[in-house]
Amino acid sequence: MKTSNVLTLILVLLCINASTEWPTHTVCKENNLEIYYKSCDPQQDFAFSIDRCSDITSHTFNIRAAVILRHSIKQLYAKINLIINGKTVLSYSESLCEPDNAKLIFCGKKKGEHIYYEGPVTLGIKEIPQGEYTVSAVLTNEDHLTVACADFTVKNYLDYYY
Amino acid sequence: MLGLLKMPRRGAFPLWTLVVLLGLTFFLSQLAGCILDPCLEVVPNITFRCMGLNFSGVPTQIPNTTQNLDLSFSHLKSLSSNYFSSVCELQLLDLTRCHIHTIEDNSFKDLYNLSTLILTANNFKYLGPAAFYGLTSLRRLVLVENNISSLTDLPIGHLHTLQELNVGHNNIASLKLPKYFANLTSLRHLSLLSNKITYISRGDLDALREANRFNLTLVLSLNDIKYIQPGSFAKIHLGELALRSSFENFNVMHTCLQGLTGLQVNRLIVGEFRDRQRLVDFQSGLLSGLCQVQMQEFVLICFRQFENNTDTLFDCIGNVSSIRLVNLQLEEVSKVPMLSQVKHLECKKCKFREVPAVKLSLFKELRMLRITKSKYLNSFRQKFEHLSNLEVMDLSENRLSFTRCCSPLFLGSPNLKYLNLSFNSDISVTGDFTNMKNLLTLDFQHTKLFGPGSYPVFLSLQKLIYLDISYTKTHVKSQCTFCGLHSLQVLKMAGNSFENNKLANNLKNLTRLHTLDISSCKLLQVDQITFAALSELKELNISNNKLLSFDPLVYKPLQALTVLDFSHNQLTVLLDSDLESVSDSLVLLDLSHNLFDCSCTHLNFLKWVKENQELLQNKELMMCHIPEYVKNVSLSSFDLSSCQVKTSTVAFSVSVLLAAAVSLFLIYKYYFQLYYSLVLLSGCKHSAERGDTYDAFIIHSSKDQEWVIKELVEPLEGGKPPFQLCLYYRDFLPGVPIVTNIIQEGFLSSRNVIAVISTNFLESKWCSFEFDIAQSWQLVQGRAGIIMIVLEDVDKALLRQKLGLSRYLRRNTYLEWKNREISRHIFWRQLTGALLEGKKRNHEEVKLM
Repeated sequence: MKTSNVLTLILVLLCINASTEWPTHTVCKENNLEIYYKSCDPQQDFAFSIDRCSDITSHTFNIRAAVILRHSIKQLYAKINLIINGKTVLSYSESLCEPDNAKLIFCGKKKGEHIYYEGPVTLGIKEIPQGEYTVSAVLTNEDHLTVACADFTVKNYLDYYY
Repeated sequence: MLGLLKMPRRGAFPLWTLVVLLGLTFFLSQLAGCILDPCLEVVPNITFRCMGLNFSGVPTQIPNTTQNLDLSFSHLKSLSSNYFSSVCELQLLDLTRCHIHTIEDNSFKDLYNLSTLILTANNFKYLGPAAFYGLTSLRRLVLVENNISSLTDLPIGHLHTLQELNVGHNNIASLKLPKYFANLTSLRHLSLLSNKITYISRGDLDALREANRFNLTLVLSLNDIKYIQPGSFAKIHLGELALRSSFENFNVMHTCLQGLTGLQVNRLIVGEFRDRQRLVDFQSGLLSGLCQVQMQEFVLICFRQFENNTDTLFDCIGNVSSIRLVNLQLEEVSKVPMLSQVKHLECKKCKFREVPAVKLSLFKELRMLRITKSKYLNSFRQKFEHLSNLEVMDLSENRLSFTRCCSPLFLGSPNLKYLNLSFNSDISVTGDFTNMKNLLTLDFQHTKLFGPGSYPVFLSLQKLIYLDISYTKTHVKSQCTFCGLHSLQVLKMAGNSFENNKLANNLKNLTRLHTLDISSCKLLQVDQITFAALSELKELNISNNKLLSFDPLVYKPLQALTVLDFSHNQLTVLLDSDLESVSDSLVLLDLSHNLFDCSCTHLNFLKWVKENQELLQNKELMMCHIPEYVKNVSLSSFDLSSCQVKTSTVAFSVSVLLAAAVSLFLIYKYYFQLYYSLVLLSGCKHSAERGDTYDAFIIHSSKDQEWVIKELVEPLEGGKPPFQLCLYYRDFLPGVPIVTNIIQEGFLSSRNVIAVISTNFLESKWCSFEFDIAQSWQLVQGRAGIIMIVLEDVDKALLRQKLGLSRYLRRNTYLEWKNREISRHIFWRQLTGALLEGKKRNHEEVKLM
């Protein structure tokens, strides 16, 4: 059966790009806080980092994110779900780009263009919830096509003292 | 492998080969799938999408009729001349991220029809001077993210038809437009977004000066402009100029705007992006340079921090006819210049907490005022005054909560035609519209209202054409709710409620109405007089209510009705009379999501649905609700033939009925036989239980009774030993059916049966019946028992007709009665013997037991 094993191996090597599983990236790995993400867009992976993970406890923190667009984003909508034990607990959506009100600089970019976002993100919540959970973020455009998609796994055991 | 093949185990050879062959087939198919993924044919023979398929050239499968080809994310690397000659009909070619570093001369030569060429993100190293030759129809050229450092080097001067040139996100450092721009006379849009332009000098835009470019949009946003030399834009006419996030601080912006002196532009957009805000504060005199700019429309977008210095905001834009302030953290309007010429003013997503009516009233020429999407705006206490030209007032999507609507708040605006207060918090409508008599459109939707429904608040709006009070929590109690609206053509009031959930005489004076929306109003009932006055109504939406029926009399006055939405109600069926009233003028009818009854009793309605598919909207959502077995079956796919009775069913039921009738008849006719068989089946038990009361049961015709008494009963019962005989006229119990008596008293209680055969016997039905029973009884019980006495005058010919009897007589010994002494003696001896025989045997049986 060696021959068929070799065949399988060649097959896997040739079709490696047919796989839709992207590797898991580490954003933070500290004593009480771990954040990982994985792209859930079958077409591409993307880069994401948080400047200082300790800032995440504060209201606003700086992130860097880069992606090459596979679709135009004349309009862009974000949908964020908080998933605990496989159940969606919280759902939040916001329009980031509107046709007559391009408030962010990447609004209106076309397919193939590169987005590099470096700047603050305001979560709009006082503190990030403790425990282990998944935050799923999906960005869609005017044609309801997925522009970017990521599942963030958060393990947060930070204490909050105010 | 060879060793394996030579092995003597014959079974292994084909199996192994099979595995390898299967594996190979699978491998090859996967290989083909990985490498030669076919393009997606979006429109057959016209549009092909080959995005991300890693082609290294134009795929051979693409036909030469293709007009739109998306080859993005491929590996073309270098384009040589006549590269696209196989697809010369192309109109759109997308070469985004194709790793193209070289475009040689005449690469696009055959593409005479190409109008859009997208070359985003390719990082050119070499562009031939004739790279774009042949593109005689090119209108749109996208060269975003290509590391282009100078417009001069671009070989595009011959593209006279070019309308849009997008060179955003490159490294262009100078706005010096090469001379060839004078040739690009069709150019409408030039985007230099996010480049490296720092200085704009006089003469840079000379190429635009020669021809008037009233339609040209020039985008310079996201450049880091440090200085604009005054005069650079002098005598330049532009359609639009965008300068967002182009300046690093207040001072730079202030001086650069000064440099716009002499510009004539239809729309000037200045401001920032929310994620690229570098100017800390709006300071006094920021826009002073705009005094020297002639413009129709000014847009200030994404600006934060307007604290105390808004006094000068309108200083130099007071003569602009249209101002849009978008996404500004503007909290108040502090100063408005006298004699302002502003006609259109829009504040979208600003930070007002109070409608700045007093200050805005100073824009005397205002025709249109929009303050929308301001999430802090909740108070409306100031009054608009003397805006005599105001026609459009839009205060929608704020959080406004106020009373005294509406006249007292809009004093001196007699020309107001359009008032939009929708999507606010709550408004108390007093009914005072006295100085707004020219109002044509009034929109209150999704704002909680106090007033309408209880009082006739719209009395003075005689000219109003359009009224929207949908979802305003209005509860219509007053009969005169819509009094005064004589010109009203459109009334939208979905999501409200009516007194007693009943539509009565509330719409009586809306004679001009042609569109009415009363969906989601919890309606249970509609009165017959409701629509009496609405003879001009064309569209009626009465969906999402709880109406149970469609009363033709209610809808009869709606002679002009063309569109009726009756979906989401509780209609079960439309009767024949309803259908007649519906089908006349209607063009569109929506009956979806009702609780239809698909029983075959409503076959006419079901047929009607099939026949009127063009009239019905959302017909696939017309579902059966009952009966249970067709629940959620779409009415249009309902099988009508299931309602037609099948011939086999008919045949079956008829035959069942027939069989039942026949068996009833048979039971009636052969009651005796049946009863007898029943007794036979349970007979053994009975005979055991009942003792032998009689020595013999005598079967005879009633006509032979005399003979029987004289010659049989008397000698036998009176002789020695005495025999007990069973005689029907003496021993049968009254009140019991004869058959029961024959069997119970006659056969079951007697040891023997004496049959007196005579001519009368042969003629009697009862006798032959009794004889039949006796015979079968003999068979079942297995004892002899039948003693035949044949009287001498029996007609032999008649006897032969009774086949069973004649055969019996032939086979068995019988006694013959002759009226002679000697014969009698023998007869008696034989008879007593036979009777005694039965008696003795019976006694032995008793003894044995």
